[in-house]
Amino acid sequence: MDWSTLAALTVDGLAVGSIYALTAFGLTLVYGLLRVLHVAHAGVYAVGAYGGWLAYTLTGNLGGTIVVGTLLAVIVGVFLEWWFYRPLQGKPPLVPLIGSIGLFVAVGDLLRILFGPYQQSFPVLPPRPILSPLTLPQVAVVGSTVLLFLLVYVVTNRTALGLSWKAIAQDLEMAAAVGIPLPRYTRMAFALASGLAGVAGILVGAYYNQIYPSMGSVPAYKALAVVVLGGLGNPWGTVVAGVLLGVIESIATAFLGNQFPPEGVAFLAMILVLLFRPQGLLASRIQG
Amino acid sequence: MTVLEVRNLSKRFGGVFAVTDVHLQVQEGELLGLFGPNGAGKTTLFNLISGTLKPDSGEIFFFGEKITHLPPHVRARKGIARTFQIVQPFGELTVLDNVLVPLAQQELTRLLPLRPYDSLARRKQAMEILELVGLAAWAHERARNLPLGLLKLLEVARSLALQPKLLLLDEPLAGLHLQESEQLLDVLLSLRGQVTMVLVEHNVRMALPVCDRAVVMDAGRVIAEGNPEQVRRDPQVIQAYLGEREDA
Repeated sequence: MDWSTLAALTVDGLAVGSIYALTAFGLTLVYGLLRVLHVAHAGVYAVGAYGGWLAYTLTGNLGGTIVVGTLLAVIVGVFLEWWFYRPLQGKPPLVPLIGSIGLFVAVGDLLRILFGPYQQSFPVLPPRPILSPLTLPQVAVVGSTVLLFLLVYVVTNRTALGLSWKAIAQDLEMAAAVGIPLPRYTRMAFALASGLAGVAGILVGAYYNQIYPSMGSVPAYKALAVVVLGGLGNPWGTVVAGVLLGVIESIATAFLGNQFPPEGVAFLAMILVLLFRPQGLLASRIQG
Repeated sequence: MTVLEVRNLSKRFGGVFAVTDVHLQVQEGELLGLFGPNGAGKTTLFNLISGTLKPDSGEIFFFGEKITHLPPHVRARKGIARTFQIVQPFGELTVLDNVLVPLAQQELTRLLPLRPYDSLARRKQAMEILELVGLAAWAHERARNLPLGLLKLLEVARSLALQPKLLLLDEPLAGLHLQESEQLLDVLLSLRGQVTMVLVEHNVRMALPVCDRAVVMDAGRVIAEGNPEQVRRDPQVIQAYLGEREDA
């Protein structure tokens, strides 16, 4: 394999990894606060994609596409927190987990009922080269991911909100005892997580120029693998793990061809990590 | 002025009566000692006052306002702060950030608490509190690296950052050696008069003499109340402690 092919694969992997990171970050943030695996998060991602697609189909406006898709994802995510996770707080963790899987399936089915089982094309980012050999979708995906994570970094590390999230994640009882309003801050975490998932959904739809009702399935289980790789509840570990996984998958697929599905890479890595480094690849390195 | 009033408070876990029909009044500025053997219901009473537990019956008033059903974070912001029997620092945060967590909750008046949490004024406030308890030198250390004695001081510092009107201290001296105990007790005594305090303590020998007033619980009930000297001589108190320790 020559260098230019490797570079092209790496760029593709960075784009795919960016989307993993955007999706998995929210999952790990929510896990840190509620100790619940929010499987329906991938449903929120699909909702974001459909919201963006709908806005694009109706208006053809790029800004509108992003705003509508993201907002819709935020609304659905915050609704799920209020309607579903909040009442289940204090129940054994298996209860919200199983419910969350059910919710995820339900969201996919709802999209199928509303928009049909077909793939819809979503040509919001035409794959023309800019900054050759990079294409517009690649630059857009990686660029917006970098910008979003800069923003997220500032929120989590510089603001009262971020500091309070860390406090909640470390000790729920103490956090309440020092005056942190848990419900309100949890809702804000869902809003941020869902917004990022919504953007990820739009980006993935635009990147592959297609969306479909079950588009959340692969991210649903792959985000779990990413979260485990990054160290459960360690947001920045998740980001690094997501990007790494995207790149490794992309290159591995080129090497191994179709005999070994790219999904296998994620899960092989997850199994190895669980066996040999259950605290996650990057635990204690990149904390909070 | 009555800071805290507890009326007919009861809490049961299954068939066990943890707190039974407890009446309690705490006056502004006083240091009230709450004593009793293991399982007397002291920590349960703290959990009921701070809102971690909901009572089965009875009422709790804070400056005359009924708070029986308010969630813990609201009570904290009204000025009820507590320390836990087992220290619960935010271990991954620095000592300074631990104190900034409660201070940063002032941002709550805003729709989105997105301004920097460590404004200059707030850092200064946090450092003053750390100096008060003698932790200023450790401000930038991760809390989990601190020994127990300093973590206990950090618990107190974090509680003070809430600018509490009532401070509930659950066995602050437990696990400390003599010198650490004295240091912590000095800090608490320096707050005397400024902050109303309720002190639960197993180390009766050290704690009882410094209290303005003492309440003794046994098996979920208040069995004695009065100034330290009265309580120490109370036959029921001696009875309750018999076999456990001889110094009460």
